[in-house]
Amino acid sequence: MSDTATTHAPAARDHARRERLVALVQSRLALAVLIVVTLGAGAYFPNLLAPTNIENIVTAASFLGLIVLGQSFVLIMGGLDLSVGSMLALGTVISAYTLPYGWPVALLAPAVAGALVGLIDGTLIARAKMAPFIVTLAALLGIHGIALALAKQSMDLGDAGFFGTIANGEIAGINNMIWILLIAFALGALVLNRTRYGMALFAIGGNEDAARMMGVRVERIKIATYMLSGALAGLAGALLAARLNSGLPTAGEGYELQSIAAAVVGGVLLTGGVGTLTGALSGVLLLGLIQNIINQIGTLSASYQQLASGAFLLVAVIIQSLLSHRRGGE
Amino acid sequence: MGFSSTRGSLLAAVLVGSLAATTAGAAWAADNGAADNAATCTNKSPSKMPFSKMTVGFSQSENLQNPFRAAETKSVRDAAKAAGVKRLLYANANSDQAKQVSDIQSMINQGANALIVAPLNSTGLKPALEAAAAKGIPVVTIDRQTAGKPCRDFITFMGSDFHKQAVRAAKQLVKATGGKAKIVELQGAYGNSVETARTDGFAQIIDQHKGMQIVAKQSAKWSTTEAQKVMSQILLSHPDVNAVYAQSDTMALGAIKAIQQFGKTPGKDIQVVSIDGTTEAVKLVANGQIAADIETNPRFGKRAFQAIHDYMNGQPVKQTIIMHDHLFTPANAQKSLDSGKVY
Repeated sequence: MSDTATTHAPAARDHARRERLVALVQSRLALAVLIVVTLGAGAYFPNLLAPTNIENIVTAASFLGLIVLGQSFVLIMGGLDLSVGSMLALGTVISAYTLPYGWPVALLAPAVAGALVGLIDGTLIARAKMAPFIVTLAALLGIHGIALALAKQSMDLGDAGFFGTIANGEIAGINNMIWILLIAFALGALVLNRTRYGMALFAIGGNEDAARMMGVRVERIKIATYMLSGALAGLAGALLAARLNSGLPTAGEGYELQSIAAAVVGGVLLTGGVGTLTGALSGVLLLGLIQNIINQIGTLSASYQQLASGAFLLVAVIIQSLLSHRRGGE
Repeated sequence: MGFSSTRGSLLAAVLVGSLAATTAGAAWAADNGAADNAATCTNKSPSKMPFSKMTVGFSQSENLQNPFRAAETKSVRDAAKAAGVKRLLYANANSDQAKQVSDIQSMINQGANALIVAPLNSTGLKPALEAAAAKGIPVVTIDRQTAGKPCRDFITFMGSDFHKQAVRAAKQLVKATGGKAKIVELQGAYGNSVETARTDGFAQIIDQHKGMQIVAKQSAKWSTTEAQKVMSQILLSHPDVNAVYAQSDTMALGAIKAIQQFGKTPGKDIQVVSIDGTTEAVKLVANGQIAADIETNPRFGKRAFQAIHDYMNGQPVKQTIIMHDHLFTPANAQKSLDSGKVY
């Protein structure tokens, strides 16, 4: 016994060390790239690092950011939510309709509607065992239709009063949306890493059957997570309505894929079970930064932005896939 | 395991593809072009800054795959060069309203002295326009009207009168069919005001003619393939249709393909009228397949820079400038194509 221990211990320690390193790279790569790209581009375009510009980048990214938060939870659980973009659009329209009943209603009604959509999606996925891709794709189309039926074109909120301040005002010289984004991600990280619910998400994403055998209530947690994702998308819609003073039935087009892209760039695995919110947030900001750099260049066609985002995503997926093989394989 | 990794890579492929591709879409929108009125905006403390010292920002709303957007952008770039501006900043919102706001703010941060904005929607630019107003940066809005107070949020709007375009298209269709027609109307994507204006304007004229009847109207979302599909289905259920009104050239092209597949001849069995005046469609006007095409004039550049110049120098600028849209018929189409007047 002592014999085996002495021969295997260094190898095992090596393996553990390597695994920790791989996990660290996987979760912090996006953050590192974000910092490097920011500083590199900042040296080239002095305007980029101006506080007002950084505020602009983060504020603009905050709506997608809230969606990415919910999407990350769903992805870590091994699911997928394609309905978030059109839920954002419906959220803006619901806000426009409910604003006459006061700002709290306009802020919360879209979140409640989103949670309801999540309840339906989650139930079909968890109880009827339907594929998340199909269920949430159907939701994407259906919600888009509802948004357009409610508002044939964009709606002006007129004088929105305090509702507008929620997304346009500042605390300590920093736009409220940035505070909302940071607080939401901090709370999200707390839930993901410090609660039994968070542990259960990783367990289900890692191996659903094993999670069930460990006593995780898989169905309930799935439904709750789709509700969370829907509610965050609805809330993002309410805040976008407040920011733009508009109900926009065509908003959020492509956000479902952008949100998945941001999470994946940030190290969240599409296969579930792996991911950090620091990574996901870095992913969102990285995509926003690329957009802003293209603006700083000022003469480039927007196609380059999509090309750059696509390239980042591809590289991220390749690195992730190499790392996962290393992690699982040895 | 095999299943999930396949699913993973498949999704990744879909994602990369979708990011690289675009939402395209040919929806250019605006409110009903208000009548050209006499109201003006005047800068009370003009800086008289010459173009050679100015940075001008241009915020485009939609992807340049759309020929209108490409022609509009080229027009602004050419005019910037002709005016000799120090620097032209360009950003494209790619149909994302939140991005357009952030684009404009980023151009303000980069020191833009004046802005030309092609609004994506009829609302939704409030924070950006407020930021520009707070710094005294004049904004010229083009092609679509957006919510805001003239002279504070923007100094002028210039664009086509979409309602009038539809009225002209309807009159051309009455002429081409001799006042007797069973019409298919292919509408733009719902959710923007261009579609509404082009539907209302058309109905206004058609309702006055007893012999003209709209037998089917459906949205083909400004898309050629969608229009082809919708038109094929309509032809099966209404084989006696003899007229088509397409709210955009992209959809007219799809309708013509469907008509040909159905074994009928566009221009002979079925009269088609369309709006936009893009090269591809005007060629079909020249060979008789499209009876008439009303232009949506994208050449805003020169007028936009003129407005900025006037405002900077304390001269009055008209709050609404309606663009002159050409009418292409078989009589003038080839000549217009040859003289390079078509975009």
